Amino acid sequence: MNFDKLISGFFIILAMTLNFGFFYGDLSNIDLHSKYELFAAIVVNLIATTLKIGDKTQIGSVLLATSLVADIQLIAAATVWTIVYYTAGVLDVHTTSIVISLSGGALLANITSVILYIGETIKSKR
Amino acid sequence: MKNSSLWLLLQKMRVPFIVIVVTYTIAIAGLISLDGIEVDGKIYRMTIFDAFYFVTYTATTIGFGEVPYTFSYPQRMWVSALIYITVIGWFYGIGSLLSILQDKLFISEIKKTAFRKKVRKIREDFFIILGYNNVTKKIVGKMLAQGYRVVVIEKNTDRVNELVLENYVPSVPILEADIYDPKALELASIKSKYCKGLVSLFENDNLNLKIAITAKILNAKIPLAIKSTTKHMTENLEDLGVEIIENPFEIISQQIQMLLTAPSLYKLVRWMHGRGDLRTTAFHLPEGKYIICGYGRMGHEIKNVLEKNNIEAVFIEMDAAKKNTFSKKEQCEILFKDADDKEVLLQAGTEDAVAIIAGSKDDTTNLSLLSIARKINPNIVTIARENEIENQALFHYANIDYVFMPSRLLIYKTIAALIDPIVDKFISHAMEQDEVWAKELLGMLKTKVGDNPSTYELFVDEDHAHALVERIKYRESIKLETLIRSRANRNIFNPIVALLLLRKDELYLLPDMSEITLEYGDQILFASHRDAIEDIEYIAENIHELAYVLGERN
Repeated sequence: MNFDKLISGFFIILAMTLNFGFFYGDLSNIDLHSKYELFAAIVVNLIATTLKIGDKTQIGSVLLATSLVADIQLIAAATVWTIVYYTAGVLDVHTTSIVISLSGGALLANITSVILYIGETIKSKR
Repeated sequence: MKNSSLWLLLQKMRVPFIVIVVTYTIAIAGLISLDGIEVDGKIYRMTIFDAFYFVTYTATTIGFGEVPYTFSYPQRMWVSALIYITVIGWFYGIGSLLSILQDKLFISEIKKTAFRKKVRKIREDFFIILGYNNVTKKIVGKMLAQGYRVVVIEKNTDRVNELVLENYVPSVPILEADIYDPKALELASIKSKYCKGLVSLFENDNLNLKIAITAKILNAKIPLAIKSTTKHMTENLEDLGVEIIENPFEIISQQIQMLLTAPSLYKLVRWMHGRGDLRTTAFHLPEGKYIICGYGRMGHEIKNVLEKNNIEAVFIEMDAAKKNTFSKKEQCEILFKDADDKEVLLQAGTEDAVAIIAGSKDDTTNLSLLSIARKINPNIVTIARENEIENQALFHYANIDYVFMPSRLLIYKTIAALIDPIVDKFISHAMEQDEVWAKELLGMLKTKVGDNPSTYELFVDEDHAHALVERIKYRESIKLETLIRSRANRNIFNPIVALLLLRKDELYLLPDMSEITLEYGDQILFASHRDAIEDIEYIAENIHELAYVLGERN
């Protein structure tokens, strides 16, 4: 068993599941989406990104790219939420849908990342 | 990915990044879960943003204070813990970044990247020079002056800095790397179409051989100029297909041969190398008894030359330890004594010798033994070998009749062979001729084109002789003499001497200009003054000028 692979696999998949957990639910109702889950998703995504950094192979670069996309989308979602909350005081349906759909985009990137990761694992002989 | 310095940085920053992210998360998680103080009748808990804001300025030790409300005691306890965690995590990250930036490997990667970018940008012909020392320094200067670019690879940091301080224009990219490392050669774009040659003139023959092999494997097409000091090594290099093999000692023996029997030829060669004009009277070696101090690689070559010319010679070798490496016959013939000593020089017969050659590896010894010899015999002709270019002034003031400098010979040879291969060809063929031939040519050059003519090479192809090529394409026969007619009056011939014509495998030394017809791909070497050379250029390039000199229009 490769400990490095275990760690990076764990974080890559956890990034996707947390992302999904936040995204799942009514698109227009912010109460169904936990801010703590978004926070956790961002942290885990950042760690997953860091673990992918420095891999010079082709697949490594693409994995890093997907992670960066997910980071940007999630951080954008959190930023929109924070700005609107502190300026308007309350999130309307429009902003809510922006936040949730941004995290949905991140989820797609995370799914791509997991597929690539699994593909690479299957391809390797050991 | 080509840019490995960035990857190196990122890979090494992995752990610090993770440490920062984890410590922040712990700190933020604690802050948002703890109860704050009561505001307006209800307990205020920090939002995620409040916590992130607080941790951000606390971890970086900026510390704005307790916001948005004064903290409760449980919060303060947690904050005291989180300060230690996050500040240490942050410092660890910054510290790692700084240490990576100072990392030798990282710095060399950055320099490599910069070097590769600079070399890639070169869109002109350039040469790769291995090693930066006094000899290659001169070569670099001359190549730049001739309009070529140069790329240098050097292992020694001090020498690299020396080149950097030299501030060459245009800039000379330098890479600090192992000279025979194939990767370094590749970085120096040995495979580029602009690379016109590689120069390796190290003292160590084996190193030169190793470089020649590597370079030939990487790109068999580019000409290599490699130094070799033994016959065996020269053969090895020839087998490899090295184009220019330079043996300084062989060059010296050729020069002595010329000085002994063909001073006019020597003058010609000097002029071709651009080291003097045709007027200077060549130094002539007298006939009689010679004393040669130093019997190493150079001594051997000198011995061969003197024997060929039936000149009596006494050899003195200073290093007695070398005695066993010579044959029995040599051991009897050679004096194994310190030549830098009056008794020894007297014993060798300095009093009745006509010339003394100081050919040891040490410049001081050479100078001092020549001054002793002069005291014994004031009429003796002194010849010295100068090893270090820095000692030039010393040798100049010592009033020595003739100074050989292996490194300077290498410089001229390299420049001629790489930049003007046709000049080098002419020299090597001229050296096979005798004094009568040389004297005749010298006389002709002097009367026809003056004391210090320039040389000019014409390449008959689309780029250099457009008009000629147009005509040759239609099978028109154009005589070589067409080129030397005056543009002002076609019945007058400009004072031009054609020295050499190269045609695929054929070679015509001093071609007969009224006989020979031009063909596509010919290379012709002319000697003349600037105005006449300009005429050649016009006639070769311009269809109207060509038509005029051919008598087709006025």
